[in-house]
Amino acid sequence: MKIAVILRQVPDVVEELVIAEDGRSLAEDEVMHITNEGDEHALEEALILKARHAARVTAVAVGGDDAKDALATAVAKGADEAILVPIPSEHRGDNVRLASVLSPAMKSAGYSLILTGVWAADQVDAGLPGLLAMHLSVPYVGGVMSVSLEPDGTKGTVCKEFPGSRLGVMEVSLPAVFGIQSAEQPPRYVPVSRVVQAKRTLQVIELAEPPQVVGGMRAAKLTKSSAAARAEMLPGDAKHVAEQLVRILRERGIA
Amino acid sequence: MIPREIVVVAEHMGGELNDITLEMLAGAHELAYSVGWHVTCLILADDPKPFQGLSLTADKVIVVKDSSLGAPNPAAYARVLPRLLKDLAPRLVILGNTSIGIDLAGPLSYGLGAPAISGCVGLRAEGDRIVVTSRLCGGKLVARIEQGEGLVIVLVMPGSFHRELGMRDEIPPFEIRSAPAAVKPLSVRFVEFIEPKMEDVDVRKIPFLVAAGRGVQSKDNLAELEALARELGGALCATRPVVDQGWLPRTRQVGRSGMTVKPRLYLALGVSGAPEHTEGMNGSELIIAVNKDPEAPIFDIAHYGATVDMLELVPILLEKIKEAKGGR
Repeated sequence: MKIAVILRQVPDVVEELVIAEDGRSLAEDEVMHITNEGDEHALEEALILKARHAARVTAVAVGGDDAKDALATAVAKGADEAILVPIPSEHRGDNVRLASVLSPAMKSAGYSLILTGVWAADQVDAGLPGLLAMHLSVPYVGGVMSVSLEPDGTKGTVCKEFPGSRLGVMEVSLPAVFGIQSAEQPPRYVPVSRVVQAKRTLQVIELAEPPQVVGGMRAAKLTKSSAAARAEMLPGDAKHVAEQLVRILRERGIA
Repeated sequence: MIPREIVVVAEHMGGELNDITLEMLAGAHELAYSVGWHVTCLILADDPKPFQGLSLTADKVIVVKDSSLGAPNPAAYARVLPRLLKDLAPRLVILGNTSIGIDLAGPLSYGLGAPAISGCVGLRAEGDRIVVTSRLCGGKLVARIEQGEGLVIVLVMPGSFHRELGMRDEIPPFEIRSAPAAVKPLSVRFVEFIEPKMEDVDVRKIPFLVAAGRGVQSKDNLAELEALARELGGALCATRPVVDQGWLPRTRQVGRSGMTVKPRLYLALGVSGAPEHTEGMNGSELIIAVNKDPEAPIFDIAHYGATVDMLELVPILLEKIKEAKGGR
């Protein structure tokens, strides 16, 4: 059984986000990129399935040079094959375009399962996994928390999350695309030394862009959201903040 | 001139409309009212009865009835919706930015050849353009997206419009239709719902909540937060990353897919305030947020905030609360 995992490089939202001069994109050089969190979980789920079913896992990384690091990490964690899909920075986050770039290669390789994060941090469109499933004419379920497969590879059972910590169980015929919300266990840790080692011997297949690529819409304007900050900020060090908080809580009869 | 059409795809569970449905109707009405458009609430269900006679803020309610539409099966919805929407020919289709809506966005966007805009928190018409405000990058950025001609699909974030405005005094015309095409066979079979095990505390019923975010860093650090919660007479809850690490049970998760809470106090520690979390707690009476990042979006909704290190703050705060209680 062959499983593909798509790993997208997205802005690290814990770091400062700098808006580019065009006012509608992020300043490429000033923003830190990391692998999209849901995609990390998708890789973990794929590796769990590999252990259960002796599947072959292909990591498909999308982005610039940082995507190569994501591939080395994926291989160090246990992925069997590494594919790089170079995407110019101005098209990052355009999942319509990405689905159209990826689908020919995904189709010809004949994967039973394609996993990626149900959404990406920089997304404003329909999202990659659902669009990709449509290109490939296969079923799609998103918000997936666990996957189990029939040994013959014809069918999978997923737990999909719904509000109120409720789970929906669904049987899906394969091949299929699943949008992973979180894996059955936290993404595994791999020591830096193993990543460095993997990087040295990494064999990357670079995917050429197909001739017909369709792009999606773009934001007309991008702004930071904290302009209308409402919180009254408490000044001072931890001790001073603690004193003010106790006063606030006491005034409301809480402490 | 025939008024332009907005179609709201309703979400429901157990015969009841979800809050997001009323919020989407409120958003649709706001836009429709300003430009004289027409709103249809589209309900896909196996039984239309529970939805009859509801005074929804819509010009029309259409229930599409089919035995396969009893559960939120994404394949069944994706089979029925494109044909229906082609018939109704709307300018705008509104879905929830929810576990149901996210499964439909791809199929509808691709199937109808229309852009789908997710993370929508604001919606209006400017002349002939539809202007959508969306949040991205964990709520840190806001995008303005403009769409001229053609069909647009938007996914509305829960909590973006007032639920109360999704109902009004009159009952709109009600129509029952059968599915426009054979729904079966389907590639996805909905088996069952698994309800959460509630052997743990029910955070929805606790008046004082201390919330642990990613900033808690390790499971060991949770002990101190737990002690603080206990001292306040409350309980500890968390954001998704903390629960995904297995540090707390899933029943303690607050947010889109977890619990929706409205405590008297919500003390958010190391919580960034991503929309998928805040939609589960923004109705709290008093929100206090501590996060080292001054740009963290949690400060947009908190009443009080501080940018000190919460791991340094918590032991001092615990001590001071004990002192304050002792001095009473």
